[in-house]
Amino acid sequence: MSEENWIEVGSTDSIEEEDLIRFDHQDKTFCVYKLTDGFYATDGICTHEAVHLEDGLVMDDEIECPMHQGIFNIKSGEALSPPACEDLQTYPVKVDNDKIFIKID
Amino acid sequence: MKNNIIILGGGQAGVYAAREIRQNDSKSNIKILGEENLLPYERPPLSKDFLLDKKKEEDLYFYSSDVLKNENIEFENISINKVDFENKKLFAKNDNVYSYDSLLISTGSENKKLTLDNNLKNDIYYLRNLEEAKKIKEIVSNKNKITIIGGGFIGLEIASSLSQLQKKVIVIEIGNQLMGRIIPKQIADLVQNTHIEHGNEIILNKQIEKITKINGHYEILLNDNSLIETDFIIAGIGSTPTVKLFENTNLRLDNGIVTNQFCETSIKDVYAAGDVSNFYHPFYERNMRLESYQHAQNHGICAGKNIAGVKTEYTSIPWMWSDQFNLNLQLTGICDEYDEIIERGNDINNGVIYFFLKNNKIRGACGVGIIGKVGRDIRITSKLTEKDNIVDKQILTDQNLKLNKLIQK
Repeated sequence: MSEENWIEVGSTDSIEEEDLIRFDHQDKTFCVYKLTDGFYATDGICTHEAVHLEDGLVMDDEIECPMHQGIFNIKSGEALSPPACEDLQTYPVKVDNDKIFIKID
Repeated sequence: MKNNIIILGGGQAGVYAAREIRQNDSKSNIKILGEENLLPYERPPLSKDFLLDKKKEEDLYFYSSDVLKNENIEFENISINKVDFENKKLFAKNDNVYSYDSLLISTGSENKKLTLDNNLKNDIYYLRNLEEAKKIKEIVSNKNKITIIGGGFIGLEIASSLSQLQKKVIVIEIGNQLMGRIIPKQIADLVQNTHIEHGNEIILNKQIEKITKINGHYEILLNDNSLIETDFIIAGIGSTPTVKLFENTNLRLDNGIVTNQFCETSIKDVYAAGDVSNFYHPFYERNMRLESYQHAQNHGICAGKNIAGVKTEYTSIPWMWSDQFNLNLQLTGICDEYDEIIERGNDINNGVIYFFLKNNKIRGACGVGIIGKVGRDIRITSKLTEKDNIVDKQILTDQNLKLNKLIQK
């Protein structure tokens, strides 16, 4: 795991608890979440149709797509409710000096 | 106890019921009888991504046959033409007889057809199933000017798709607004503007007097004597519950099969779910019949629980969507019982929502915006509706204030 793959997202106070922010890096887009037990990251685009999850609703450990209410587990990426059936890619997250980093391979 | 459970109708409600029964009952025989020779598939993409070639047939199936096999759920393609509720038997056209201990009817709904006084029956196309979608997709590739009769969800979604395929599209609607059966006029007008901006012609308040076929083209005469020339006609003028099989039986029918909040019909051990059911909703304290994806799924699951002996009330707040061009329209609850309307936002780019309140409590809401912009607030509104609390109207009105503040209160 090389250090250069950790990309800085922003400061830990840039996300409210039980909420998310969108993070774009090169040609990829992500969602970074603050849950009660820490920070998590997933792909930004719903696996069902091309809509960004940044406008979705975070409830407990789940993100619900704003377009058709497909639901994913934020921690595992598992698709929990149709019409979403394909899992969402997740990414490792670490916090260092109040800054959030995600690891993109 | 091992029962024979038959699910009549192989759509979304049926397959979700079957899987829910299996979750709660590992022993009973579960058999789905479907009229289409296809495993249950998603219908919403048919008028949108399937026509646009963004989704293929194989992308539409809910489950592979392996999933059903692994759960020991049988699926048979068969057409039933007689039901004997007294002796708990179904009779198929090929003389097969199916006995059941519990029966779920999930036959769905079917298209209303235009009544035409000449032999044009086969010239008018409708879109409900995969076969019809395939036909339309194939034929429109060679046509330019397409007329859609009916300005409801299905007609407008097809209009949006065909416009994106560079077709000249005309929509004729008998009412004084689009989507008039369930969508408030304020939202319908915003959607109408988008269609017009993309070049679609929308004709309201007009009835079809006559359709004539001339050299492979059509002339549509409207009741104001105007004439529309077109290459192809698609009609989407509403649907009716598929209940013909039960018309001369004791099963209580009234705009579908009448069910209580447990999906139970007027006949013992017979249940109904999805489009075909006119069900009692305990929150709204009235019966309703819904034609939507979320309802078909959740109502099927609820019926499955009840059939498996897990007594469960159906209390889902209704929710539905439509995607047209770059817009996503959503509706939650019911928008026809209110004493106050509250508007949130006025720019379709950020989303516009109308809340419908009665006695200061939300009964429903309808919103439209560029894709992704209204979903979260509509979802929160479903939760607020369910909570049945008096709401802070300032938060509803002000788009800068997050709606989830109302949930946390």
